[in-house]
Amino acid sequence: MSFERPRATNGRAPDPFTIGGWTPMREYAEGEPVDFLIVGAGAGGATLACKLAEKGFSVVVLEAGPFWRPLEDFASDELTQEVVYWIDDRITAGDDPIELGGNNSGRGVGGSTIHFSMISLRFRPEWFKSRSKLGYGFDWPLSYEELAPYYEEAEDALKVSGPVNYPWGPPRRRYPYRPHPVNAAGLVLARGAERLGVKWAPIPLATVSAPRGKSPPCVYRGFCNYGCSTNAKQSALITWIPRALHAGAEIRDLAMAGRIETDPKGRAQGVEYFREGGWRFQRAKNVVVAGYAIETPRLLLNSACPRFPNGLANGSGLVGTHLMTHAGPGAWATFEEEIRWYKGPPNMAVTEHWNYTDEGKDFVGCYSFMSQGPLPMKWAQTVATSRGFWGEELQREMRKYNHMAGFVPVAETQPRQQNRVELADEKDRFGLRIPKVTFSYSDNDKRLQKHSVRFMCDVLDAAGGYDIWTNYQDTSHILGTCRMGDNPETSVVDGDGRSWDIPNLWICDGSIFPTCGGVNPSLTIQALACRAADRIQSLAAAGRL
Amino acid sequence: MSERRPRDRASKLLGAVALGLSSAEMIEIARRGAPQAPSAPPPPGPPAGKGMLQASAALLAASVLVDSAIEHYRGSFRNPGMYVPLLSSTLALLSGVEGAATGSEPAWRPVRRSSYKMAVAVGAVGTAFHFYDIFRRPGGFGWLNLFYGAPLGAPPALAVSGLLGLCAEELQNAPDGSTKLRGFSAGRVIAALNAVAFAGNVAEVALLHFRGAFQNPFMWAPVALPPVASGLMAKAAVEPPAKSYPLTRIWLWLTTVLGFVGMGFHAYGVSRAMGGWRNWSQNVLDGPPLPAPPSFSALSVASLAAVGLLEEEARDALPEDKAAA
Ligand SMILES: Cc1cc2nc3c(=O)[nH]c(=O)nc-3n(C[C@H](O)[C@H](O)[C@H](O)COP(=O)(O)OP(=O)(O)OC[C@H]3O[C@@H](n4cnc5c(N)ncnc54)[C@H](O)[C@@H]3O)c2cc1C
Ligand code: SF4
Repeated sequence: MSFERPRATNGRAPDPFTIGGWTPMREYAEGEPVDFLIVGAGAGGATLACKLAEKGFSVVVLEAGPFWRPLEDFASDELTQEVVYWIDDRITAGDDPIELGGNNSGRGVGGSTIHFSMISLRFRPEWFKSRSKLGYGFDWPLSYEELAPYYEEAEDALKVSGPVNYPWGPPRRRYPYRPHPVNAAGLVLARGAERLGVKWAPIPLATVSAPRGKSPPCVYRGFCNYGCSTNAKQSALITWIPRALHAGAEIRDLAMAGRIETDPKGRAQGVEYFREGGWRFQRAKNVVVAGYAIETPRLLLNSACPRFPNGLANGSGLVGTHLMTHAGPGAWATFEEEIRWYKGPPNMAVTEHWNYTDEGKDFVGCYSFMSQGPLPMKWAQTVATSRGFWGEELQREMRKYNHMAGFVPVAETQPRQQNRVELADEKDRFGLRIPKVTFSYSDNDKRLQKHSVRFMCDVLDAAGGYDIWTNYQDTSHILGTCRMGDNPETSVVDGDGRSWDIPNLWICDGSIFPTCGGVNPSLTIQALACRAADRIQSLAAAGRL
Repeated sequence: MSERRPRDRASKLLGAVALGLSSAEMIEIARRGAPQAPSAPPPPGPPAGKGMLQASAALLAASVLVDSAIEHYRGSFRNPGMYVPLLSSTLALLSGVEGAATGSEPAWRPVRRSSYKMAVAVGAVGTAFHFYDIFRRPGGFGWLNLFYGAPLGAPPALAVSGLLGLCAEELQNAPDGSTKLRGFSAGRVIAALNAVAFAGNVAEVALLHFRGAFQNPFMWAPVALPPVASGLMAKAAVEPPAKSYPLTRIWLWLTTVLGFVGMGFHAYGVSRAMGGWRNWSQNVLDGPPLPAPPSFSALSVASLAAVGLLEEEARDALPEDKAAA
């Protein structure tokens, strides 16, 4: 397998559903400004590309990673599949440096949705106004009610398979597909929660429980975090991207954006990008950055010019700041019966109890937690790094693999100025300054995690687990760094993702979240992208683009 | 966890007992059933549809046999009781085939009757087991467990097969040409049974096709057409017998065909799973159940038999009316 040469060229793009297959692709001249030039083909970028192309805009997407055909490219092997991760050099700092790589960002058409766990949850309505309603963080410039129709649209586009009645949140339309059967690891959560009198639910997942077009139903083999080789997973690669291509968008794979150029009037005029061995330039009327919460601020900062010496869209000085992650401490236990937690998608049961209950907390913020199913190598790594086991001891522990179960929360962290992405002096292979990511937990963040670990241990215990142990190292999603808001002084973009400083520069990804809530973000990112597309259309119609 | 195990053990024990009992019953059936010297020739002019009834019992039993074989194999025969429906439906299938093919050889009658009774009993016990399986899962009686727990509609199908067979046997036993079952109109009784069975079957299909999100529009057909058949049977059961049921017959032929077409659709469904038919050993187990749709055909054939009996009853009644006039 060699992915050094782009595949999406000469008027055709790979068809992810067919071995060796192609689909026709429209191409645009570099010298002619396209309506929208999008950097990044992940949850945010792919969705927006599809929606804008379907609305008739000309769209080109630059994606740093390859254009996969899962059926032929994805191996059932933990090591081989590291190709789907963004593992370029980054510098980490702070009291609690975030481990960066496979656990938080992807590289390739489809972005991190290629290897995400498919959990598709909506935000709790109050989180959109968490400053005014819950007393922490920042208010979003839009409300749950404004986003609800777009949540529905995204859920339908992904044919999310979820419970008939989801126990939390306001009334909603039924999920398009029915829930998957819950694996034994999920039933541990269910059993424990029921014994403690806490609600649980099968997780709404973006992998189909029945055939959908060319997607077969999920086969429950559990390789989801390494790229789904059956196409059951409704990643951006097989949902939004084919639609975008069909509607006339061009996707350029293995195209690394290095710099956004601005014209003398201070408007973005295109992007300099590296492809096929050289730097090229694509002109555009609008530029959208959708590189996720580290690469997006990095690109904005790397695009500094005499007119914008602190980087683009950075009048507020906030670009790169208020980085949030979801803390993921774990609680683990051994069970007498066989669990075989590798079976099925890694997370199949959830409780959002502490997302929707505000009493009984010695902290602000929320968390949900999910049953887990790490594959053997990942598990050996966890055991080795967090318990210091090696050699015979590690072997002994690994023999329990099929009898283990455990939980990890999606634990909210507070947006804080000092947690941030900056530019390091070192450069990458493209000659671009690499990001330096600084992160420390606040005392509140730590109290929240302790609470979650205590509660998860109680649930494991109630479910009959023994030899319970915990670890505090993991994190998952990365969010914030270019937050949206109502005020140009205190935010980078407005609720549509449009930057305050440069009106034809937009951001559409996880970096615009003002707060991160206690659920996984991709559904919200996709809903925001759907909404942004509608807003762009209305702005265009009103002549305000 | 440890609290659950005794319960599991108890259910396995019960299953083992059920398996033991049904095996003993099988041996007993075989012993008693060895045909003696050919006895009196079959009574002349059997009531219409009796053979069809036996055939429908056989078809339904066949559907149950294959379905429970696949599903219980998929469940690794965790509980010894999971073998029981295989034994019972095999007996019901053989009885039905024998009954339909030989025009009800009297020498085999005790065998057939015992097999059918066993099917009714096993169906009833199985239903209880399947209910238990649903309630013992976390979440209890809810959508998730209705979708993925033991299917509630499967064991009753075996019981219905047994009941249809028993009806056929009763009719056999009755004086020549009688259309009465223990004094009741046979046509109406069987129509009523089919009305209920169709309704149950539709409920099961509706549940499972809902689980499949009705992703293919054709998945609506088996929840749209059979309810009409159920209604027609209910109507036939409550109204006085008529001389002919042209519309009902057409509809029942439609649902008969539907069952087999459905099997074709399920085969297509298997082909859409990862690896398609090349990976049949997994996809036949996990894909849409191939033997399920023909259960509609079985009920339709039984309903056609009921219609035949009703028409006969109406014709029998006619001369008397004339005589009275
Ligand atoms: C292991 C794992 C499990 C996850 N599980 C879940 C889950 O279950 N549910 C959930 O909601 N979320 C989950 N997530 C998170 C989710 O995948 C991300 O939050 C989401 O995909 C982020 O969307 P995005 O558009 O911001 O960025 P991405 O989807 O990461 O897309 C960014 C894209 O931009 C490209 N890019 C970046 N910089 C450049 C550049 N300069 N030039 C060209 N291209 C560039 C990248 O290659 C990448 O493809 C998971 C993430 C991981 C890593
Ligand atoms: S478990 Fe399902 S979603 Fe995950 S990789 Fe396998 S088929 Fe794909």
